[in-house]
Amino acid sequence: MKILVALKPTYDINQLKFDSEGVPLLETCPITLGEADKCALEEALRIKESNKAIVIAVTVGESQSHIKGIRDALAMGADEGYLIKMKNAWNISSIAVAKAIASFAQLTGPYDVIFTGAGAGDTHSSIIGPMISALLDFRLIAGADQVEVSENMVKATCKMEDGTYYYESDLPVVITVTSEANEPRIPTLKAIIRSKSMPIKEVDPSVLSLSVEEFKDLKVLKHSIERKRIILEASDQKSAEESVEKIITFLKSEGVI
Amino acid sequence: MRTKLLAYSEDRSWAAQIKSLSDSIKAEASIFLPKKEIAEKVSGLYEEIYYSDLENFDPLAYISAFFEVAKLLSPEVAVFPCTGKGRILAGLFSAKNSKSVATDVYNVQSKENNLIAKRLVYGGKAEVDLELKIPATICLLHGSYVEAKANVESRFNKVIKPNASCRVIFTPKKVEGMEPDKAEVVVVAGRGVKTKNDLRMIMELAELLKGAWSVTRPLAVDEGWAESWIGISGLMVSPKLYIGIGVSGQPHHMMGARSSKIVVAINKDRNAPIFDECDYGIVGDLYVVLPEMIKKLKNMKQK
Ligand SMILES: Cc1cc2nc3c(=O)[nH]c(=O)nc-3n(C[C@H](O)[C@H](O)[C@H](O)COP(=O)(O)OP(=O)(O)OC[C@H]3O[C@@H](n4cnc5c(N)ncnc54)[C@H](O)[C@@H]3O)c2cc1C
Repeated sequence: MKILVALKPTYDINQLKFDSEGVPLLETCPITLGEADKCALEEALRIKESNKAIVIAVTVGESQSHIKGIRDALAMGADEGYLIKMKNAWNISSIAVAKAIASFAQLTGPYDVIFTGAGAGDTHSSIIGPMISALLDFRLIAGADQVEVSENMVKATCKMEDGTYYYESDLPVVITVTSEANEPRIPTLKAIIRSKSMPIKEVDPSVLSLSVEEFKDLKVLKHSIERKRIILEASDQKSAEESVEKIITFLKSEGVI
Repeated sequence: MRTKLLAYSEDRSWAAQIKSLSDSIKAEASIFLPKKEIAEKVSGLYEEIYYSDLENFDPLAYISAFFEVAKLLSPEVAVFPCTGKGRILAGLFSAKNSKSVATDVYNVQSKENNLIAKRLVYGGKAEVDLELKIPATICLLHGSYVEAKANVESRFNKVIKPNASCRVIFTPKKVEGMEPDKAEVVVVAGRGVKTKNDLRMIMELAELLKGAWSVTRPLAVDEGWAESWIGISGLMVSPKLYIGIGVSGQPHHMMGARSSKIVVAINKDRNAPIFDECDYGIVGDLYVVLPEMIKKLKNMKQK
């Protein structure tokens, strides 16, 4: 079985800060592989252990964070790691990213399963997996909390807004995995050292016959919602009573209770 | 010529919000819904209503029915709700049929032949203006547009049910009390609530305010105290009143409640991020503040 895992290094948005003009300080924001992406890789590695499979990790981009992301995937146990070289990887439209991964899959495949995280930690569009499925005419399991892949079938459970869906599907399939699916392994020191000597192969987008259009005018600014920010203290029983009294009065005059 | 818009929805509320978006850019809107029963509820909002008799959510079957309608109409814009299912369908549709796609969109304007969309990124901490080339696919955030009113004659058109792509077994979620995404008041428990038993206070407050209760993701996923949660990976709500109790207010959670009219926070940490995003806040121990609030509201009710 041949498995592709598409990964994306993402900003840790809980730590994202802005300057006085509201421009995000992305340079100082920590970047790691997304939680869900790591779970996707973990699923692939588990199949490899029980079923014999070759696992290939790929990312779109060429920055140090992208190289580090693939290096981490190799340390976790991926057999091969690829970078699809693109300069402004953060500014490429998701359609272009999905097309790059789909063409890469055609070039290096055929694959039985393509895994990706159900949502990236920073943008969380959750559309890349479905796009790859459409581009390659693969089946699709999106947002899997539990996955079981056998020789010719996948069984998965996906929680959605209205309930839980259990799916059984044929291969080839794109599976997007949530961060609830498993506990991704932490590579051993030995694996980390070994991964350092493994090559990270580079793919030129021209090989994939892609024309990549970047976003124009990508102006990212702090999003603030007008809120009143009236903060009351309740350090003891008495102040708690007073504050609750006041809040109830406010909410009544707002007409929301 | 007017821009043609094709919407997807599974209920009336979303259908009405997307219609409002459509009206704001003066588009000519049609809609596709998976089942006849749902389609009938949308009567009066759209002139052309398409439906199929799709069963449980099978993404590829759903999108091929939607695609049949798109082939007929060649819309310049396809709009899906920014829900779990909506995102999946938007991805499937846009890959082959659109020049551009944006999720988490809360405002759309037309500009010459293209569209300008405002989208949220980084868990709602930042916004981006995007120029979307036509044909475009958009996932609209809940609560971004008010619901349009029914004011047209609707024609109903049936789309043949496509083949299934997989086997599906669906277990609807158990709803204890009101559904958060349909309630006017949503009371949310965060990790500051220490035991499952203490959730009773949250439920009691919700009941007193005639609202729904929910939790943050860790309480649903790690603790298993609820089947769903509020946030970007859970339910997106836009009630009149959101009350976060022992909720820190991390972006992924707040994204799900950003269009609430009034946000109230109760948290013992003055530096919790939720205090930057609330209208009214109480800095204090929820185990002191909440019983007090419940007591006062009960007294009010008795009077
Ligand atoms: C890709 C991704 C998607 C995510 N999607 C979601 C999502 O959809 N929804 C979601 O909720 N989360 C989501 N998360 C997780 C999110 O980042 C936060 O971890 C989570 O929302 C925090 O939940 P919390 O506020 O309950 O807990 P915490 O952050 O631990 O906050 C608990 C708060 O309770 C306060 N507190 C403690 N004791 C008391 C007391 N006695 N009285 C008053 N206050 C008290 C503390 O001061 C603290 O602020 C996502 C994360 C990722 C990476």
